[in-house]
Amino acid sequence: MYALCDANSMYASCEKIFDPSIRDKPVVVLTNNDGCICAACHIAKRLGIDKKFVPYFKVKEDLERAGAVIRSSNYELYADISQRMMDVCSRYAPNSHIYSIDEVFHDYQGWMPPEGWFKHAWAIRRAVWQEVRLPIGVGIGPTLTLAKAANHAAKRIPGYRGVAVIDDETSRRYVLQNMELTDVWGIGSRLARRLQALGVDTVWKLANANPGWIRKNFSVLVEGTVYELSGIAKLGWDDVRAPKKEIYSIRSFGQRIFTPADLLQALTQHAGIAAAKLRRQNSLAGTAIIFATSSPHDARGYYRKYITHRFAVPTQDTTVIANACRQAVQAIYRPGVPFYRCGVGLIDLSEKAAFQHDLFTPSADNPELMACMDAINVKYGRDTAHIAGQGIRQKFAMRRQFLSPQYTTRLSDIPRVKC
Amino acid sequence: MLRFIPIPAQAGISGFESPAAEYTQSALNLDELLIDHPSATYLGYAEGESMVGEGIFSGDLLVISRFEKVKDQDVVVANLNGVFVCKKIDKRRAMLLSAAPGRAPYHIREGDDFQIEGVVIRSIRLHRPLVKSI
Repeated sequence: MYALCDANSMYASCEKIFDPSIRDKPVVVLTNNDGCICAACHIAKRLGIDKKFVPYFKVKEDLERAGAVIRSSNYELYADISQRMMDVCSRYAPNSHIYSIDEVFHDYQGWMPPEGWFKHAWAIRRAVWQEVRLPIGVGIGPTLTLAKAANHAAKRIPGYRGVAVIDDETSRRYVLQNMELTDVWGIGSRLARRLQALGVDTVWKLANANPGWIRKNFSVLVEGTVYELSGIAKLGWDDVRAPKKEIYSIRSFGQRIFTPADLLQALTQHAGIAAAKLRRQNSLAGTAIIFATSSPHDARGYYRKYITHRFAVPTQDTTVIANACRQAVQAIYRPGVPFYRCGVGLIDLSEKAAFQHDLFTPSADNPELMACMDAINVKYGRDTAHIAGQGIRQKFAMRRQFLSPQYTTRLSDIPRVKC
Repeated sequence: MLRFIPIPAQAGISGFESPAAEYTQSALNLDELLIDHPSATYLGYAEGESMVGEGIFSGDLLVISRFEKVKDQDVVVANLNGVFVCKKIDKRRAMLLSAAPGRAPYHIREGDDFQIEGVVIRSIRLHRPLVKSI
């Protein structure tokens, strides 16, 4: 069995953890430079002011009328809360796979919870709420696609209240019959229209379609989806395509890693994989989350550390991201810790085509210069030559008019408690 | 072609291994000592003098755990109508108790927005101000 845990309106929910005064208000979060709305809490959604990726200045009056609380993206806070959520979730499964900043898959590898799947899913949801104060949905199913479908049901189909399990024919039928084609993992709107044109107009019909016919008319991928929906696992982690909005590259090591050099090598590799994906989809990343952990099941106690690195200028250059990793290793590495997993997450993505160049902070993406600079730094020591922008705090370069404090990552920002 | 494999000359006497080489001991770490569940633990600053009877003074660092089960008379951090407060909880009488002379208990009323956020598991006095940031 597999599970998918994901946070409800991650960014807006994070804003509510340390600011009790906005918990029952509509909260919307803006993208970098306070450009557009990128997240909204359920209260804001109910009021219909969750217009994703609409420029802020266009909806400013509507938001004011609705009494909405506006926040700039506080990635330091979101990354920290994300790590906490992943830590708690990964206690519940022998193997977990972080898929994005607010989604993690569990692979139970044949293990069965003695209390049953439903109670197990509830336990995960309750633990994340109690320990992190983050509301999550948990979906469990026999394939990755069905786990994703169950997760959709948990959040969207009335009656499930945040937890859904597909573990027999009845539950599989009920969930699939209450979904739209575009709700299925890997089925976009264009594909849905083509399926409908050929008479496959419901998810249930797709699940019962003839796989060979689907392969002939569509693709091997859609054929895989048909198998997965009927309960036969076809997808592995590597087929799981990253969402457009963020890119994660993470691996657990076959053997534990003990030296900073090995850790840097692994992280640099992840930087390369993630940056290549980024270039393939023509995006730029504004922020990287670089992290490493020991195993939550290690006897010596759990160690995890991560760094949130904001790039002075959004980048898609492997060397820029690898440089960030090199700086991060210094803070992440600890002698004696058996590192088990590490990774690089690129978040805060934007379209390269839409990128507005900044007069004062030129882009650092220059492969030749990067190579030369690295060579100098290897020979004469770290940061002998570096980009001027590296030392300039992002805060001055970026519009973050509505930024909340970094409650968990800056000592000057930790919450005040009235005695 | 003759393959030549260089082997460094060795006398084969290596003496005793240093017992210290067998494992590396990492330095003491306050996080490990003071924080039992990192994912569920937060820091806060105390502001005000109503908890001095519990040894919490204004400006102290509070280590707050959401993991602990709340017991009667625990020192907790709670959300009271949109503000984080640090008080002792009286579960039986639904009251928030101060720990300083002349401070009346607060009765939690119907209509109050109230949730316990976590248990104060440690508090740290800063006899000299902090110079570091996390």
